[in-house]
Amino acid sequence: MGGLAVLCVMGWSIMTMSLNPEAAAEAANLPFYTFSTISRIVITLVISVVWGVFFGILAATNKVASMVLTPFIDLLQSIPILGYFPMVIGFLFLLGPWGIELSVIILLFTSMAWAIFFGVLGAVKSIPTNVVESAQSFGLSGWRYIRHIVLPAIAPTVVAGANLAWCDGWFFMIAAEYIQYQGKVVPPPSGGLGYLLARASYFYGDMPFAIMLLVFITFIVVYFNILTWHKLMERASTGTFKPIIRMDLSGVGKIGVARPVHWFHFGSIHWPKTFSIISQSLRKYSRIEKVTAAILAFVAVFIALYLQSEHLPTLAMIQQGFSSPPADELSRLPSLIFLTMSRLTIAYIISLVVAIGLGVLAAEHKRLSAIIYPIYDIGQGVPILALFPVMFLGLNKVFGTPEIALELTCITMLVLDMIWYMFLNVVSATKNIPTEIKEMAELFGFKGFKRVTHIVIPFILPSIVTGSILSWGTGWNTIIFAEYMPSTDPSIPPLSIPGIGSLLDKAGYQYGNTVLLVFILGIIATIVLFMEGFIWRRLLRKFEKYHIEI
Amino acid sequence: MTILVVENVKKTFTNGKSEILALDNVSFSIGDNEVVCLVGPSGCGKSTLLRIISGLEKAYSGRILFHDQPVTHPIPQISMVFQLFGLLPWKTALENIELPMEVLGVKKEDRARTAQEYLRRVQLEGFENTYPHDLSGGMKQRVGLARALALHPEILLMDEPFSSLDELTAKTLRELFLYIWRDPSAPPNSMIMVSHNVEEAVYMADRVLVMSSRPGKLVGEVKIDIPRPRQEHVREPIYFEHVDKVIEMLEKGKKQT
Repeated sequence: MGGLAVLCVMGWSIMTMSLNPEAAAEAANLPFYTFSTISRIVITLVISVVWGVFFGILAATNKVASMVLTPFIDLLQSIPILGYFPMVIGFLFLLGPWGIELSVIILLFTSMAWAIFFGVLGAVKSIPTNVVESAQSFGLSGWRYIRHIVLPAIAPTVVAGANLAWCDGWFFMIAAEYIQYQGKVVPPPSGGLGYLLARASYFYGDMPFAIMLLVFITFIVVYFNILTWHKLMERASTGTFKPIIRMDLSGVGKIGVARPVHWFHFGSIHWPKTFSIISQSLRKYSRIEKVTAAILAFVAVFIALYLQSEHLPTLAMIQQGFSSPPADELSRLPSLIFLTMSRLTIAYIISLVVAIGLGVLAAEHKRLSAIIYPIYDIGQGVPILALFPVMFLGLNKVFGTPEIALELTCITMLVLDMIWYMFLNVVSATKNIPTEIKEMAELFGFKGFKRVTHIVIPFILPSIVTGSILSWGTGWNTIIFAEYMPSTDPSIPPLSIPGIGSLLDKAGYQYGNTVLLVFILGIIATIVLFMEGFIWRRLLRKFEKYHIEI
Repeated sequence: MTILVVENVKKTFTNGKSEILALDNVSFSIGDNEVVCLVGPSGCGKSTLLRIISGLEKAYSGRILFHDQPVTHPIPQISMVFQLFGLLPWKTALENIELPMEVLGVKKEDRARTAQEYLRRVQLEGFENTYPHDLSGGMKQRVGLARALALHPEILLMDEPFSSLDELTAKTLRELFLYIWRDPSAPPNSMIMVSHNVEEAVYMADRVLVMSSRPGKLVGEVKIDIPRPRQEHVREPIYFEHVDKVIEMLEKGKKQT
């Protein structure tokens, strides 16, 4: 109740802050905007849960469905979500205001649904064999089997996944509600908090207003987390045969909610188990499955192109795409890729070092954890994408050069985005060191540095790889947003720093060049898959031996 | 001669707000060259007791005296073998044995030589560079034993060391442990083993200490007067008489609570 009062006061003060009259008129819509954003996310959440549970169970129990669905969805979620956004909306805008609302929901859906799908898939597959067998021996099958065995077993994962999806929704809200299409901003008919924040910073350049709004949004996210998810989580985890769900995570902080973390992050059962799910998901696909996925992806691309032009892409159309702007920048493609990769690498190294340092300290030191966890809790509540305009405004004031400010904002954003995945993985892995190994270490006198280098770091290496995959995945998503700054004035072209992310934005937002957009997406997908195959999967296989059987 | 004394050890666990008494006034002592087995129903606190003796856990009250010195933290003279071996998967067999010596500051050549020597004693020559992942359960426990012995402990603590192995492997390993214990040139002097297998306890021990279930108390002691090596006596009545005696005590311990 106290929280609601704070929320009202904050809302009131935002609405009455001294602003220029135009901005004030927009700020007056705050209660309605809050309502429309929350209902949008709730609607998408419901759709995502239903979709995720249905297809998750289907993919986990049906071999054919699994062969088609799992690699395809894996592919979809590993290419940047923000990337195929313009493609979808181009089509939906033809439907009028409802189409715009629908496209916002679809974008939110593409950022929220994976967590639940992969969570359900993993949870159904990890129902203990003895439970499955005893259910079969008692003749439970079909709907009854799902009702009495599957649903109770996956309930905690679904709740945890829904919680993550909820955070994810807030994370992407600012991108979803501030749609730019062919150089123009298309406001959602019923507005929204993300839209208001984007207006405040891009259009009005009003820093205090933007910060207030950001705090307001963060408060809503954290408040809802405490209010609902925690209780739900507790209830969901009682009375199931794997009550450990999220125990690690709630240990992480009092508010204990993971930030926009993708699927397996849901902190499903045990972390080692989580780890094995991802390593399996990377290894298990046969060649046939990969080919199926690739074919499906191609079909999807062609459908998208078809919807755009209302006829199948012809050679002429593709040629036209490659000869209209921003095709002139294609000659610099290698250097653009290099620049983007360097940004990602710098951010990755920073987050790796900081996350390992803080994560190990937080997991091993009781007193330090009392300081680190609360920071983590609030930090993960901030919708980081929403931080982007605010941070840019601030840095621009400091440096005066927009390019430098954007470059710094971009890398800071990436670090803030990547670090949580690493941190969460490091903490839970460190906490999961088996008792016997800990006892052995203590008995034989491993202390301080020796303990960290000989015991802790080797043990958490697989989790670091898992965290890295996630970090890079989310990094790709974010960099598309972070290399490109929409302009505050329609007459000024948008600001961007050279990179493959901003090239994608130009193709999508500024010129609406779908052919090029698909081409760049393909390049990014290739890089992502290449890294997965040649770096991460190899490392995972190498560290497999490090798994301690319990 | 007595080398280790367990004196009025009490241990409590807090479960939320309530306190549970896990060990209640346990006292006994271990002599030179003695093998002592702690047997009791599961959950009676025998593993906890072993951890208190090793210095890994603190007693609520009472103390452990090793050569009249209180044990408050792990010391190299008291080493331990774990139920699930406690090997580091990212180190080879040889490195696993060497590592505790490195912590103690033993020179590189010395520790390599010692590790090699003990690997030979546990009959694992040729597996120096094998990772635990590629060793069988029995082999892993041999590495665990070699690691503990390489520190030249006076007392070897064993927490159900054979219970995760199949019976045939366990049998071979019991022989190996006893063989090494009997060898006067090699450590350790004395062994304390936790087990829930009565026949194993009678086979290995000089004395079997019987514990009752929660709170763990010593309910009795059976001296095993079977000549060693005992392999020749396992089919004789004298062996079964001892086993029956221990089981009778275990039953009595159950009734008391």
